[in-house]
Amino acid sequence: MNNKKGHIILCALITLLASSCKTVNIAHYYHRHQSILDSIELVYTHAYAHKPFSVEFTDRAFDRVSLELTTDTLTYIYEFWVGEDRMQDTLRKYGFDPAAINDLITRMRSVDCTWVNNLDYYTEERKHYLTYISLWPRTFNFPFVNKKYYILTYFQQPQYFDSDGNLLVGRKLRRVRKINAEVFRRINDRVCYTLSDRFR
Amino acid sequence: MIGLVVSVQSQQIRSTREEALEWLNTVKLPDTSLYWPNVKNRLFLENLRINVIHPVGMYQGSSTNFCGYAALSYLPLNYDPLQYVKFMLALYTNGEANWNKVKFTPSPEVMLAAGTLHFKGVLDIHPADQMWFLVLADRFRSYLNVFHAKFHTGSENTFWAACNLGKFNRMVRRLMGYKIKAIGSDLLRPSIRDLYAYLQKAVHSGTTFLYVNNTYLHVKNHNKSRFGFPTHFIVLTDIQKEDDVLTITYWDYGGRTLRQVTTKFLKKILYGVTYIVNDKDE
Repeated sequence: MNNKKGHIILCALITLLASSCKTVNIAHYYHRHQSILDSIELVYTHAYAHKPFSVEFTDRAFDRVSLELTTDTLTYIYEFWVGEDRMQDTLRKYGFDPAAINDLITRMRSVDCTWVNNLDYYTEERKHYLTYISLWPRTFNFPFVNKKYYILTYFQQPQYFDSDGNLLVGRKLRRVRKINAEVFRRINDRVCYTLSDRFR
Repeated sequence: MIGLVVSVQSQQIRSTREEALEWLNTVKLPDTSLYWPNVKNRLFLENLRINVIHPVGMYQGSSTNFCGYAALSYLPLNYDPLQYVKFMLALYTNGEANWNKVKFTPSPEVMLAAGTLHFKGVLDIHPADQMWFLVLADRFRSYLNVFHAKFHTGSENTFWAACNLGKFNRMVRRLMGYKIKAIGSDLLRPSIRDLYAYLQKAVHSGTTFLYVNNTYLHVKNHNKSRFGFPTHFIVLTDIQKEDDVLTITYWDYGGRTLRQVTTKFLKKILYGVTYIVNDKDE
């Protein structure tokens, strides 16, 4: 009897460990979904260049979407149901392109992408931009397990890495760069990843 | 829109942006400062000019605990920019300075750190803002800072820099010399029967600061359980009500934001309100 209980506890522990996010290979996830992830970055970058905004899914079902719409004077934060008429009206009202943003939202839903935004960062006093994509794959949705997010960063130009694949500040400044207090690792010259407790 | 002041009616402006810029144009700085070895004078002056011209852009820095000091900055940048630039210049050239009756003699650790904070967004290239936040955190202490007495590398992200409601109110009163009304605490939410009426009155009286639980206002993960205490200061600039929906406009460092929330939600996240009152309103 005691033996049986022991086995149950052992199985439970193994399951818990198996669900631990550290066992998931983000680079593998990226390569499996590369075309859709790259297209999210492309669609977002083009739409953002027209007018700055960010998109966030606020629920696990990916049905509620929060938009941060930046204008010259204010950032407007509104939450909608996906596809809601009110959302289209709001986008048009503030001069955003509804077609591009709807397309982006559809793509984001298809890969459990919970947030996309544009961040600035600085190297030797020069400003650069990157696209920050947070994913919340359903495999992470275990009770009692802290939520983990895959974070991908798309840089506009090739980056520098140390021999362990950690993102560096630059060619001359060879210290490890942090973005949102996280260290990022190489997927390819322009794309990096990390695993984080927060999506932004 | 350049400035921040929108709906505040009765708060007096002590000096103008033009006066501050004119004064800045007369300043000659040495190439390097003995006291602030990592602050480049070109970036320092540029930073001050940007703050005076475009105060809405002041940014507390990514992952820092500077929000209380950034909120406080709203007052000098909008109502007394000349005093602000004079104070910063005195600090840069003499290594110490006074504001009202408060004397600032920054610790050597802080003087070395200013200009070196990095991976904080635009704060990376704003050494004057780094100085400003660091000297305020260094000068004003509270029970939250007890176990982080000295600055070490990375302290800007820790309780060394944290600011609670009492300390914030003290800074506004002693440094800026304003009379304030405040309600709330660090742990318990204030009981305000008609929140909308209260906040509207506050906004029309003077600059209004809200002490909020940011894990709800600016969600960073989807965890169901979140901390039940305040973590962030914002400046409320306008509030409107339609049915039970409140449309709030606030300054959250780097820009102003407008969003719609329910009264219930705002009550849930709100732990403190501080606003400036005029003598005649007393």
